[in-house]
Amino acid sequence: MTQTIPIEFEGTTLHARPGETLAAALIAHGVQDFRTTVSGQPRGVFCGMGVCQDCLVEVDGVANRRACMTKVEKPLTVRRGAFGRPLTVPPSSSGAGASGAFPGVREPEIREPELLVIGAGPGGLSAALFARRAGINVTVLDERSHAGGQYYKQLGVSGQGVLPADAQHRRGAALIEAALGAGVEIIADALVWGAFEPKEFIATVRGRSVRFRPAACIVATGAYERGWQVPGWTLPGVMTTGAAQTLWRTSRRLPGRRVLIAGNGPLNLQLAAELLSGGASVAAVVEAAPAPGLASLGSLLTMGLAAPSLVAEGIGYQRAVKRHGVHVVNGTVIEAIEKTAGGLSVTLARVSGETLPQRIEVDVVCLGYGFEPANELLRALGCAHDFDARRRQLATRRDDAGLTSIAGVYALGDCTGLGGAKAALAEGVVVGAAVAAMLGHAPADSLLRERARAVDELARQRRFQQALWNVYASPLNAPKVRCGDTVVCRCEEVTFAQLDAALDEGLSTAGAIKRRTRIGMGRCQGRYCALVLDEIVCERFGRSRDEMSGFAPRVPVKPVSIADLSGHGSDS
Amino acid sequence: MNELPRRRADVAVIGAGIVGLCLAGLLAQRGRDVVLIDAGGSAASTANAGSLHVQMQSRFMRLFPERVAGFEQQLPLYPKAVEYWREFERAIGGDFEMKVSGGLMIAETPEQFEFLVIKSRRERELGLSVELLERADLARIAPYLGPAALGAELCADEGKLNPLKCNAQVRAWAVRMGVTIVDRCKVEYLHAGHPGFTLTTILGTLDARQVAVAAGPGARALMNTAGAYLPVDPEPLHMNITEAAPPLILHLVQHAERSITLKQLATGQVVIGGGWPAKLAPGSDYPVVDPASMIGNVSLAQFMVPALAQLQIIRTWAGLNSKVDGRGVLGEWPGVPDLYAAIPGDAGYTLGPLTACLVADLMTDRDPGVDMRPYSPMRLQHETLRAMAAQ
Repeated sequence: MTQTIPIEFEGTTLHARPGETLAAALIAHGVQDFRTTVSGQPRGVFCGMGVCQDCLVEVDGVANRRACMTKVEKPLTVRRGAFGRPLTVPPSSSGAGASGAFPGVREPEIREPELLVIGAGPGGLSAALFARRAGINVTVLDERSHAGGQYYKQLGVSGQGVLPADAQHRRGAALIEAALGAGVEIIADALVWGAFEPKEFIATVRGRSVRFRPAACIVATGAYERGWQVPGWTLPGVMTTGAAQTLWRTSRRLPGRRVLIAGNGPLNLQLAAELLSGGASVAAVVEAAPAPGLASLGSLLTMGLAAPSLVAEGIGYQRAVKRHGVHVVNGTVIEAIEKTAGGLSVTLARVSGETLPQRIEVDVVCLGYGFEPANELLRALGCAHDFDARRRQLATRRDDAGLTSIAGVYALGDCTGLGGAKAALAEGVVVGAAVAAMLGHAPADSLLRERARAVDELARQRRFQQALWNVYASPLNAPKVRCGDTVVCRCEEVTFAQLDAALDEGLSTAGAIKRRTRIGMGRCQGRYCALVLDEIVCERFGRSRDEMSGFAPRVPVKPVSIADLSGHGSDS
Repeated sequence: MNELPRRRADVAVIGAGIVGLCLAGLLAQRGRDVVLIDAGGSAASTANAGSLHVQMQSRFMRLFPERVAGFEQQLPLYPKAVEYWREFERAIGGDFEMKVSGGLMIAETPEQFEFLVIKSRRERELGLSVELLERADLARIAPYLGPAALGAELCADEGKLNPLKCNAQVRAWAVRMGVTIVDRCKVEYLHAGHPGFTLTTILGTLDARQVAVAAGPGARALMNTAGAYLPVDPEPLHMNITEAAPPLILHLVQHAERSITLKQLATGQVVIGGGWPAKLAPGSDYPVVDPASMIGNVSLAQFMVPALAQLQIIRTWAGLNSKVDGRGVLGEWPGVPDLYAAIPGDAGYTLGPLTACLVADLMTDRDPGVDMRPYSPMRLQHETLRAMAAQ
């Protein structure tokens, strides 16, 4: 039998697998409610990747720890997060002896690698590996405890009854291995919370702040999933497709027994296939895009020619879903989710507007309605961005080699606008080569040939992506109804009605509405509501969205504890 | 908005921070037809952290010793200003989440305590009600403080409010009073006709019989276009706010020797500020966060209140304080009839509504009930003449 690690949770002992996340261990034991909000609403895992700040629990007396980012390596005592519990003083956290005057600020360590890469996903690792092979000293920072990012998320558990790593895991492991083997330094559990002009980054690493002042940097921070602001989208049990996939791919845990997957794009189908392989019952895959018809033939052909292996993977997922008798319901979206005695009850609607009569009863609803680039650090630095109307997002302005509008600051992959993991891999080589040249390291001929191949591959992947999103084009990319008591801002629990009231008072900018209603002022820093608010305000006043129309970028880009900032935490 | 909604008004108030909003609203309430124009951007009030200051801030005394005399002249206004906040909240039917639960200035060394002894003596002479607390009494009323606190000066009239709520509610009140507010409109020139004024703005011109400039650090350039020398300078400052926590810190907490203000809002967030510097973005007057200030400011906060250690900072921002010479500049400009300055001086947010009311009284020929001579722009006129004579 596999060894387990005990977790004392609210008076019962749960048995976690070594290496799984705390979120996975709790969910595997049927826990969906992780905390209650200030207004008393229950919340659980939503993003599963450290962004939404909704899975906050108390771990060994320390409040507000993200369960999804906490790896179980030793026995833990865990309580649900609750507002109003008195704060405790961790031992030795005041930064001085029992008394005496303030000893002064502990200056953070300053590190000056030649190249700093932020994000150890496919793009970041590939760039780091290439630059290292060209002779550059490279440090990679990643917020997770394992490199690999969202695409290559590495399996953290093993043992009897645990499905072993699959090909996607193994390709990631090989890339990580290659980077380490070449001498790339990868620092895990490094939360980069600040970016400052001209190109300085500050990260929290094991309870200390470290200032990084590299000669060049590559931001490869990926993307996170958008919300789908319908009634019930904040209920425990409603999570992103990525969150469910992370539970399965890193911890081999299912998000629940009966699952409904809804959204727009190919990841939802992959998740369905993966959860089915783990024994879940998938009620349906609800896809906003219409079923591919004759009009999609051209795009499908382009996809097949550009990336046959990805098309083959897609067909595999489709077959698996079909084999289990799971329906893919096209042209349909989630309209509302309700909590019932037995779980969650989901109402669907056609994208044309008609509400479907039957409801679907499940334990878990997965939402995969597209991605938002994680461009906070780039925006904090002041890199120029342009609004991409088709994808409803800001795209980082860059040249062909990934150079942003700021000298020495490069960006690649999904954080610059969506492109997919395979494109990011190729882009990593191209950008790595550009950085090497910029830093005065002429790559060897073999590396130059590799770069030339990557340029071709990148072009192919971009053709693939273009065609893929033609096939998945949805006429409806936001819930039809944006009013009433539905929550827009998860953190501050601001509703559409409150936004409407602020607009009716005459407020005309996202910033003014933020100050008026507190929308976007919570822990997640507006990652889910900013887009919605920006769209509403711009539509109302006939403006077009741009990098100035939404919230101004602010540090910290993610919450950071005072103890970590001061370097006087309980760990140190 | 592509052009000004109005071309003519009784009064133009420039700057829609707390002073401008209150002033415009009061004038409208008194029957004036008021247009309030705001340039937007890095306004001081929108970045304010909500401390209600009464006792002299050690920070000013340390950094600007030459201004202490001026500051002392203004000191009697502070307790009145906090009282006026309360009245004003009632008068407009607002809820500013205001709490006057006292302010502590903490000493960690005997030298710092001695500084407080001298400071409190002077403050009492000037009419403030303050008291000194030794370690045991301090620990009793402020158990959240760390072991280093050996004493403090307590000023019971100090407190805090939620500036986001205030700004929004005062703005809504001003609109109810009939003020026309024009946002995102920079006034470029102030031309004194005889009588009245013509304002040249980016959205067109506006004629007004009276003009009040409540533009904080933006007032210097603006007054200059009317030939008036108003030496108000921006001081970019850093602020932090935590996630919400259960009630912990009752008072407005400061330090006898170091820059900090520390308080907890009614909604649970702890606001940490108090004068750590921010930077001005290169080539602009827009303040930006300096990470050294962020780390320094919260390190000191954690040292003073150890339970803050595990709280997370969720936002930082930079704002502009307006400094003149320790005193406000309140009143009609000498030689430019009907042009009024409404610059409250240090801790301007605390002084905002009261100083607005005083200026409104002057503009409507009412008796402010306060000797306004210390705050008169006359002293600056003198400097202008001196500067001209020296040339």
